Amino acid sequence: MDFEKLMHEPIKPIPPKQSIYGIDPSLVKTRISELPNIVSLYLRELFPDLPPVLLPGGPDAIDKIRSAAREALMKVDMSMIKPEHSVNVLASHHGFTLFGGEPYAELLKTIRDVVEERTGCTNIRLRAGVGMRFRETEEYIKRYGLDTHYKGKAIGVAPIDEGVAIETEIGTLYGLKKVYDADWIIHAHHTDVREVHFHRQVDKAVKPFGMSYARCETRSTYHQNLGPRAANFTARAIFESEFVQSKFAFAAFLNCGPHGVIGVDCDNDLYALNDRATFVGCQLYGKIMTLFGEIDECIAVLDFPCPVPYVFSAGVIYANFLGANSDLYDLDKPLPPYTWYTEAFCRKDGKPILEETPPMNPAIKMCVHNYAWTGYPSEFFSKNIPTVVVGEEQGKLFDTDSMNIRDMDHAVTARTSEEAMEFAYKVTGTDKVIIFDGAMGGLNCSKSLAKLLIEKAPIVSEKVEKELLPKWLKQRGVDLSILETYK
Amino acid sequence: MKKVTLLAEVQDDLCRGCKTCEKVCPVLAISVIDRKAKVKADQCRACGNCESRCPFYAIKMVKRAEPFTIGVDVAKHDREAIRELCEKAHLNPEQVLCYCVGVRAEEVAAAILEGAKTPEEISLRTGIRTGCTIECVQPLLRLIDAAGIELKPIENGWQWYGITPTAWTLPEETVEKYSERGFYFREDKELLERIVHTPLEGEDR
Repeated sequence: MDFEKLMHEPIKPIPPKQSIYGIDPSLVKTRISELPNIVSLYLRELFPDLPPVLLPGGPDAIDKIRSAAREALMKVDMSMIKPEHSVNVLASHHGFTLFGGEPYAELLKTIRDVVEERTGCTNIRLRAGVGMRFRETEEYIKRYGLDTHYKGKAIGVAPIDEGVAIETEIGTLYGLKKVYDADWIIHAHHTDVREVHFHRQVDKAVKPFGMSYARCETRSTYHQNLGPRAANFTARAIFESEFVQSKFAFAAFLNCGPHGVIGVDCDNDLYALNDRATFVGCQLYGKIMTLFGEIDECIAVLDFPCPVPYVFSAGVIYANFLGANSDLYDLDKPLPPYTWYTEAFCRKDGKPILEETPPMNPAIKMCVHNYAWTGYPSEFFSKNIPTVVVGEEQGKLFDTDSMNIRDMDHAVTARTSEEAMEFAYKVTGTDKVIIFDGAMGGLNCSKSLAKLLIEKAPIVSEKVEKELLPKWLKQRGVDLSILETYK
Repeated sequence: MKKVTLLAEVQDDLCRGCKTCEKVCPVLAISVIDRKAKVKADQCRACGNCESRCPFYAIKMVKRAEPFTIGVDVAKHDREAIRELCEKAHLNPEQVLCYCVGVRAEEVAAAILEGAKTPEEISLRTGIRTGCTIECVQPLLRLIDAAGIELKPIENGWQWYGITPTAWTLPEETVEKYSERGFYFREDKELLERIVHTPLEGEDR
């Protein structure tokens, strides 16, 4: 096998971004991909059956996304929206972390334009939900000019904002009042899998109804009341309520794969879209996640403008890599190596309450935190994985985060990126490095790791297609004939 | 147990007295008096909700001159009474409820046994729900409810609205109807039951 042919110059990582959740971008002096022995792999070379993408692409990639969005939006039924009505376009923070953020922002802009054009309605608002960083979407709204595009009617909403009770078939749950304060809602999301450890690719397309559009009571129901798999019913319960059904107009999704933006998918039937998203999540992302499970040892580098668990490599977030030693898609396995139920079920000495609980990915010998944000409880990671944080400024920022007051108690600090990597190489004895820096279309890693991934990719691809994918889809009740449709 | 290192500070010139801070504070440490927000410094647990939701950016989190630690000593309480209360709420005493602060079910149960009667009082004593303030609200409410204490949301507040469904309250017809869609309701309930009834280290059961 000609390994060198498949190894390329490092892909330029996503640049640091100004945010109250991260250090000043000027303090990020070195990206790990700039250091010696780092190469990139292109995902479409590892997995040649991945579909072509609109982005990354040429300078007209965003225009192509706009055209694809427009075309898809022209096909959905908007007849329920009258000129005198009000419409809330519902967005979520995660979308803005995908492929630089512009593709999702462009989808949101196009939705507004096409709805006005097709219905004559002008009272169109953007309601952008968040997770635990309550100002996050406020930042994105300004960064991408969404406040201007929505004519001053764009706001961020948080799970502690005023709520509204929603009666569901399992009892009362709570949504955010400002999410539902319009005649109609449009669910603007994406097929990126993100937190597979939480949602397990069950009803992923519906999830925001139980998360970014929901109050803290509902989110807590998901993470504490129902169990690691049953939790996914929370969103469906809300979506199926009379209250939400009376307002739901349609869904518009950025169709993403781990390698880029494939297109735009719009539908009045969210469950039909959900089945397609389940297929994308299991097949396209399932391959790269299974491949990451083949990594025997490595140094994991965080180098992306997002909180620790959400930094990306090859479309996979670090939180999923923490569980790559287990098949996160296999629903017969109740507890992933990392999820909040797993974290909750730990004894004071750190051992699991149930002995059969898998450990966090033992292949990760050390974590080098070159650049990542606060705003997510990360102490569990630094407690369980030896962690080196680059620069005192990042440690100081974590010390001021109410979710991470003790995170730095378990980590050490290096002055520079170079020193951090040197330390990691010496202590771990491995030269395999995987970098979570959002490199689009591929991943940046060390040559040694690249060689392993190139070798394993065809074997993993076949295993997913023939063995795992049919099992995963069956476990989720997805009609297996969808496999034929996609061939 | 929580180390409280920060304090909310109001910038009077920016505050317009809108009361959003009052409605989102999980320990009732901030209130609007004479159209300006005032912080009770000894009561603030530094979650930052007021800072994050103030529409006028009038609140900042600043370093405390004298940080302090809060927490409830579980060892002072009858282990069996703590176990009983936790089990009634379908929780293992040792399980973590608050992922940000690390508060376990037994500490919340101990706070209730010490006389805390509301979520706000328990947060004040233990630090639970003073990190992200989102994800641990339900087990907190479940423990208070299990203790037989009536839950009354703060009038006009957005701190919390009410208790929600659990694995033990799901209607059987829902469980049956969706059994093929990957929700694993029965299996997850069984998993949670096993967690609840697993003994603590050294516990004789």
